[in-house]
Amino acid sequence: MNTNQRVLDGVTSAIQKVIGEDWILEETIDTDTSFADDLEMESIEFVALAEELQTIYGDELDFVSWLSRKDLDQIINLTVGDVVEFISECLS
Amino acid sequence: MPFLDTNGPRLHVQMMGDGTPIIMLHGLITGSLATWYYTAAPTLARQHKVLLYDLRGHGRSERCLEGYDSNTQTQDLASIIEAYTEGPVALVGHSFGALIALKYALNNPSRVSRLALIELPLPPSRTGDFTAFIQQSDTEMVASLPAALQQLFGATKRGRRLKRFLASVQFLGTQSSLVADLANETDIPDSRLAALSIPTLGVFGSESSCRQTGQRLNKLLPAFRLVECAGGHYLPLEAPQVVTSAMESFFNG
Repeated sequence: MNTNQRVLDGVTSAIQKVIGEDWILEETIDTDTSFADDLEMESIEFVALAEELQTIYGDELDFVSWLSRKDLDQIINLTVGDVVEFISECLS
Repeated sequence: MPFLDTNGPRLHVQMMGDGTPIIMLHGLITGSLATWYYTAAPTLARQHKVLLYDLRGHGRSERCLEGYDSNTQTQDLASIIEAYTEGPVALVGHSFGALIALKYALNNPSRVSRLALIELPLPPSRTGDFTAFIQQSDTEMVASLPAALQQLFGATKRGRRLKRFLASVQFLGTQSSLVADLANETDIPDSRLAALSIPTLGVFGSESSCRQTGQRLNKLLPAFRLVECAGGHYLPLEAPQVVTSAMESFFNG
């Protein structure tokens, strides 16, 4: 299994934990999945997801400076793939 | 997940960056700490320790039935300041969050280094706008929000975010004391405002009913910088770049 696939699995289980509702376990989550349109996550839930991922991957993950380089529209349109790519870069 | 758990309500807190502290407060009803988390906070965190928290009844903080008046919420802010900071702090607030920050600064001037008030509603009777907002039907409520907020709460296939947003509005508007608390808010006298010597930034939207507050502060406050820009009351989401850069130059010099 390559790094991206392992990270995708990690992000998927973090999403399931944060949303914490039955339907999310049935939902197919891949790199094209969008947080806002497909997963319908609230902005405050994405904060919880960032915190969960920080706990899993540690301080190498600088979410805050990553976000500071994005504008609000880019953040709203983030996909699971964007986050997976960011984490994989931090881990490499 | 970090929570402040003192005698008061359980408050959800997030911290980022390092340096002199800035505490950022969001507005009522549609706000949560996400208002700042996705806009100005990461930029300010390059040079400061930024602390964000969800006001009582909002975001992941405790769903309180009472205590939405500015005096009680100023106590909540005081608990945050005592628990997480030493020495002077800078405060940022949007809307009712700005009123809480201002009240804390008036009561504790030696504890506050700088103050940024974004769309401060003063006199707070302007918060009657909240009451009118809550009394609309669900569809009208969402339609009355600017596009920047509709994309946060608007319709998606399961309508999940919209349902959760409306449930929160219902709780705050009909089960908690929020509406009655806001109706009892009183103005701050001009003489008290004129005595506030802390460097203060005000950012106001040219299409907002709060714009007059900016002009009032400009006449009264001895160390006030006024920025007016295109936009309405939800300025942190409607004009995030303008608000962020105004705060960056104000806090970083």
